Amino acid sequence: MTVERRTMTLKEAKLSAKRSDRRQARYRLRRSLPLYVLLIPGLLMILVFHYLPMYGVVIGFKDYNIFAGANPIDAISVSPWVGLKFWNKLWIQSKFKQAITNTFIISAMKVVIGFPIPVILALMINEVRRTGTKRVLQTVMYLPHFISWVVVGALFMNLLGTSGIVNKIIVSMGGTTQKFFMDNKWFRWVLLLSSIWKESGWGTIVYLAAITGIDPALYEAARIDRANRFQQIWYVTLPGIAGTVVMMLILRLGGIMDAGFAQIQVMYNSTVYKSGDIIGTYVFREGLGKMNWSQGTIVGLFNSLINLILMFGGNYLSRRWTEKSIW
Amino acid sequence: MANKRKGAAFGLTAGERVFEFVNTFILIVIGLMMLLPFLQMASKSFSGETAVLTGNVWFWPVDFQTGTYKYVLRESQFWSSLKVSVIVTILGTAGAMIITCLTAYPLSKTWLYGRKFFVFLFVFCMLFSGGMVPSYILMKAIGFVNTMKVLIIPGMLGIYNMILLKNFFEEIPEALEESAQLDGAGSLRTLISIVLPMSLPAIATIGLFYAVGYWDNYMTGLIYIQKPEYKPLQLYLYELVVETQHVDNAGNPKTMEALEDAALNTESIRSATIMLTCVPIMCVYPFLQKYFVKGLRVGSVKG
Repeated sequence: MTVERRTMTLKEAKLSAKRSDRRQARYRLRRSLPLYVLLIPGLLMILVFHYLPMYGVVIGFKDYNIFAGANPIDAISVSPWVGLKFWNKLWIQSKFKQAITNTFIISAMKVVIGFPIPVILALMINEVRRTGTKRVLQTVMYLPHFISWVVVGALFMNLLGTSGIVNKIIVSMGGTTQKFFMDNKWFRWVLLLSSIWKESGWGTIVYLAAITGIDPALYEAARIDRANRFQQIWYVTLPGIAGTVVMMLILRLGGIMDAGFAQIQVMYNSTVYKSGDIIGTYVFREGLGKMNWSQGTIVGLFNSLINLILMFGGNYLSRRWTEKSIW
Repeated sequence: MANKRKGAAFGLTAGERVFEFVNTFILIVIGLMMLLPFLQMASKSFSGETAVLTGNVWFWPVDFQTGTYKYVLRESQFWSSLKVSVIVTILGTAGAMIITCLTAYPLSKTWLYGRKFFVFLFVFCMLFSGGMVPSYILMKAIGFVNTMKVLIIPGMLGIYNMILLKNFFEEIPEALEESAQLDGAGSLRTLISIVLPMSLPAIATIGLFYAVGYWDNYMTGLIYIQKPEYKPLQLYLYELVVETQHVDNAGNPKTMEALEDAALNTESIRSATIMLTCVPIMCVYPFLQKYFVKGLRVGSVKG
């Protein structure tokens, strides 16, 4: 029913595009006017809170002094241009390079190890037949997603702290106490583990939705061919959700520049800067905390630019491989 | 799909039965792993101070007491932070729902003049941002720093949520709206009386996302709020949690007294505070689950 309608409107749209005379356009414009009124609040929101800060990136090319003008925005135009001074300064700071390296390593760990887990979980949940059990399992597994990183951080410090139960088990088995949160050897794994714990269950929701779209006749056919459950998963379910998996992976790659700012800000401390300091935490500490406005801005800009390239690249790949555009 | 396969339920082979048992067993273990951290924290919060400090508490309270909760509930900062969080969550979610619906509706119309341009204008905000420092300077300039406004207003349009809702709106047959418009209803009227009632699952889903987003957010508070009277609950909690680390985030080792202070009075009190902040979410979320699964499915399948 809806499919029919959609193709209709698509045809209509194509037709109207062909006859794109001025009258048609003027009619559409007149019809759109009341809707523009509804758009005003949303447009104002992004203008003020997104596009104005984008203009603010010029701070990175000036020696910004927040007290220079009548107000902080006025101070932008008063502050002198310094060109690429702060950009060049970045690359001699070892802490910045360390933050970039950590961002990529932690993100890569989260993608390579963390990404497949929701897919596997979704396949497993889908095989549970009792609807009651299934519902309870889903409720429990979605829950951590709704808990804040502060609480998740506290839960993990509680479990993995020096007096936590994990260390108690290690000691009782003859090992030595590990300082998971203060040891560069462990810290990234703690981040990975806690992000898997928080988001894996929630991540299944997209795949479970995709699975409901698979034609049941395919399973019938597979069973007639005496396919066992593993074969049904491998030859029917998995190919059925492959498109969604690829799209989610591309989306995930676009988000690689955020290695988990909100997460790490709670969990890290100065002893693990070497393995856990990422761009977000670096800007927060060095830019805002120490009021190095221009320096912080340029790092943020660098981060945003890479993000932009990754998102455009990802969308290009998505369009080529799955014929779906993210926007 | 599980239901559709139920027809074959009587003809389960032994192998399938083993498969099903093992599969369900593994999932239950995973589910327990999601719950046990909470259970441990809850047990600690109800356990006596000495039992907690000697590390004898596992998944059940030892020397049961409720003094920790009474202590937390006597803290004036807890109440003031709770008040901030409740106000921010309610006002923020209400405002966000209004703005998000108003924005998503026009963009869901394929015939909207300049639609592509407007959609891109919004999507671009997800791709590129000015960064933390320019945002801070903006908030400072418009007098949002150290007020509750900064916690509420900037979060009132989540682009991702808006697009989810836009996709949902696109699925609604336009004929219904046209009949309302023939009866003389304006676009706002049509949105309120025709489109919104048909989008309840999506509205509930996005409402939950916003509410949880506001409730769980500590970053905004951390960046913009220094005054204790405007600190939201999660920020209060953040400070409690970070306090127990052996070095502060500026990298200075803490003094022995500060450490002892933190260790002595907080271990179980902190647990109690954490449990209390989770209560609202744990109460609301299971009831909304059926909506958000439905709301997300239609909205996200299109991607």
